Amino acid sequence: MRFQRLIQVPVLLLFLILLWSAAYPLPSWLEVDLFLRLDPMISLGSMVAARAFLPRLIWGLIIVGLGLFIGRVFCGYLCPMGTTVDLADWFVGGKKKGRDQNSFEASGRCRNWKYLILVFVGGTALVGIASHFLFSPLSLITRFYAFVLYPLALMVSNLFLDVFRPLFPLVGLDSLAFAHFPVPSFNTNLFIAFLVVGILALGVIQPRFWCRNLCPAGALMGLFSRKPLFRRHVSQRCSKCGRCVRVCPMGAIGEDFVTTAHSECTTCLRCREICPEKAISFRITRSALSPSPEIDLNRRRVITAGIAGAATAALTLTSLDHLHGGENPRALRSSRLIRPPGSLPESQFQARCVRCGECMKACLTNTLQPVWFEAGVSGLWTPKITARLAGCEQNCSICGRVCPTGAIRSLSLTEKVFAKVGTARIIKSRCIAWEQDKQCLICDEICPYNAISSRFMPGQAVIVPVVDENKCNGCGYCENKCPVAGESAIVVEPLGELRLASGSYREKARELGLVFHARTTVQDQFILDSPKSEPPGDEGIPKEETKKEEPGLPPGFIVRQ
Amino acid sequence: MDREDMNRRAFMKKSARWAAYATAAMTFPPLYAKKADTATQPDIVVTNGARGPATRAAVNALGGMARFVKAGDKVVIKPNMSFPNPPEMGSTTHPEVVRELAAMCHEAGASSVLVLDNPLRDAEVCLERSGLGNACQGLAGTRTEGLVSKRFYEHVKVPEGVSLKSTMVMKQVLDANVLISAPVAKSHSATGVSFSMKGMMGLVYDRREFHLDLDLNTAIVDLCTLLHADLTVIDASRILSSGGPGGPGKVIPLNKIIASTDMVAADAMALEQGIWYGRKFKANQVRHIKIAHDRALGNMDIASQIVKEVGV
Repeated sequence: MRFQRLIQVPVLLLFLILLWSAAYPLPSWLEVDLFLRLDPMISLGSMVAARAFLPRLIWGLIIVGLGLFIGRVFCGYLCPMGTTVDLADWFVGGKKKGRDQNSFEASGRCRNWKYLILVFVGGTALVGIASHFLFSPLSLITRFYAFVLYPLALMVSNLFLDVFRPLFPLVGLDSLAFAHFPVPSFNTNLFIAFLVVGILALGVIQPRFWCRNLCPAGALMGLFSRKPLFRRHVSQRCSKCGRCVRVCPMGAIGEDFVTTAHSECTTCLRCREICPEKAISFRITRSALSPSPEIDLNRRRVITAGIAGAATAALTLTSLDHLHGGENPRALRSSRLIRPPGSLPESQFQARCVRCGECMKACLTNTLQPVWFEAGVSGLWTPKITARLAGCEQNCSICGRVCPTGAIRSLSLTEKVFAKVGTARIIKSRCIAWEQDKQCLICDEICPYNAISSRFMPGQAVIVPVVDENKCNGCGYCENKCPVAGESAIVVEPLGELRLASGSYREKARELGLVFHARTTVQDQFILDSPKSEPPGDEGIPKEETKKEEPGLPPGFIVRQ
Repeated sequence: MDREDMNRRAFMKKSARWAAYATAAMTFPPLYAKKADTATQPDIVVTNGARGPATRAAVNALGGMARFVKAGDKVVIKPNMSFPNPPEMGSTTHPEVVRELAAMCHEAGASSVLVLDNPLRDAEVCLERSGLGNACQGLAGTRTEGLVSKRFYEHVKVPEGVSLKSTMVMKQVLDANVLISAPVAKSHSATGVSFSMKGMMGLVYDRREFHLDLDLNTAIVDLCTLLHADLTVIDASRILSSGGPGGPGKVIPLNKIIASTDMVAADAMALEQGIWYGRKFKANQVRHIKIAHDRALGNMDIASQIVKEVGV
């Protein structure tokens, strides 16, 4: 196997294992977002758009800096997108190019696009709109593996398990008797599949089409790799056979076979391996003399791309749905847009979120889903809690722990339960207890925060659920479990959500007059009792009603016969 | 599993007959002696003490696990592990109770013991936080699973159902020779209290219809005509007196384990031992217990039964 593959294959596997491991319960030492943090686009784009230095993302900048020494080695060896492109090229098997078609000079028509994309993204980021997630290679490929291939892999695994299940006890694999992977579903997955497959299919035109022509991270690294310390060198032995030009996946070799566009070279070593004269070597070269062709960055085009980016961002800022209506941020917010616990305030959240899908892949209950345009154009693919599908598990704060940029803060479980994401509201006209006198109190039964009580209300034949908004965390288990067909009779809405850029959620809850009562008999650090409330103990029964004859007891009791 | 086999009266008749045969034959004095014991066996046992020993004592007072589990039997234990709460919160069966039961099943020669439930919240977290996932660690042939996928369930008719006519039940339960119900005693926002009968809903795939289309209390009794536990052991070491079924709520330590071959009698005893929502209740004040009694599924009238109290 070629040297490049010996590195690429294990690195891609590591990427996939880390993505697979982004799940509950995550060991604290495991940094599953490692690859995302290596992406220069994610680093620089998030920092510029968020107007902040993000120490966690320093690695992307180091990768760019490394270009001065080793060129675009990242693209050739480490980038999971690059490796996936190589894999796809192998499948697509584009027709072999003649040597005069694949030289740097002959294959350069679209090559400057990636620089224009980079400048465009830079333009939007300077105005304060993040668009780097659209083109960042790690964001793109993580999203693809997480939303498209991960569920498929689980489905296939389940198929195998089901087929071989009867055989497991016979071969002593009893532990697999109930093995089964819950298969997650993801919004927008078909679109993401077509988008990425479309990009990979461009390999028909040229190998590494994405890396050559489109990837702005490659462009950024290219800017620093024009004369790297470690680079391609051709000796006098060259017989000008031209094989190197034909095999170069990046089309980085000039027509004379000797010159190299180092900003395009990924040091894959294929030219060295194919050279029959052993004339090609990669070595430390200090001389600045060897000529190197450069990409023609037409100044007018670059300026146009920058202005286009800035203008698009400005238009986004003035679009109706941006940040739920600009100055009056609550006005136009979708009442179904519930952000994960610990999400930064919306403008910072959108600036930092790179839409990689890591949080949604890791989400224990699959409640986190990418949105289309519910949060405005700039909110494409940001995560939201889809409570009807599943609740947000009280004992899990995995989303913040896997977020590479801190768009969702990493919270301890204690903090997490105070990170209120919204408040449940009962839609009485849909509720079968309120409307149809049915003995249904599933929402009360499931509520992990004991925020729903069942009360005997005037005019009601049976006891009915009532939400105590001071105790409700917005987790959405009630909405999920409500047995009504279609839309739930109890829905979580953003009212009362806490979004803190810094500081303790627990402190904030106290500030708001919601205090935490420790109890002696029960571990219930999740209850937000108001300070003047009765000592806890019979919170199922409101105080004023305990005096009545039927104090809101569950309908399962017959008190008078 | 067959309800006829498990009926207390039928069982008593059968054991009396065996005892008579044994007397006539005079062949196996030890067997004779054992069967003679069963004639005075208690209907309900209440033990007081540490969970593990109290569980063992309760089953022993009913005649020992060998009365229920024969060599080679496949056993299903149905605890409550629906919530990802620690045992102290009283919303799930204590791991020590389940472990003791599983160990006793193995001592009686069970070929496999499955601890099964269909948790309300995420199964993985429920198993981990309730401590039940690891409760039976080290007991060979024992597995604890929260089964949520439809593939592990089978559609069955409920021939004696009044409200519930058919439902989907765990296949392993239908295949088992012995079903042991091991619920925790707790309050319940809909049914008032939740013991062994209500707990059987945890072996059903989709419980929404119980609330939506059916009369919940009748449907629970219907289900118990199908899923009638051979042995019921209720964990009342502490009860979730209010705030059930998920808690948090008021937890009262009782230090008791209640056992019976009759789910209705066990539930009635658990009810009367505890305080619920700040008050005492009689068994005929809980709809599903009363319906079960009226339909002769069991006997909720404790005064008419032999109750044995054991201190450990």
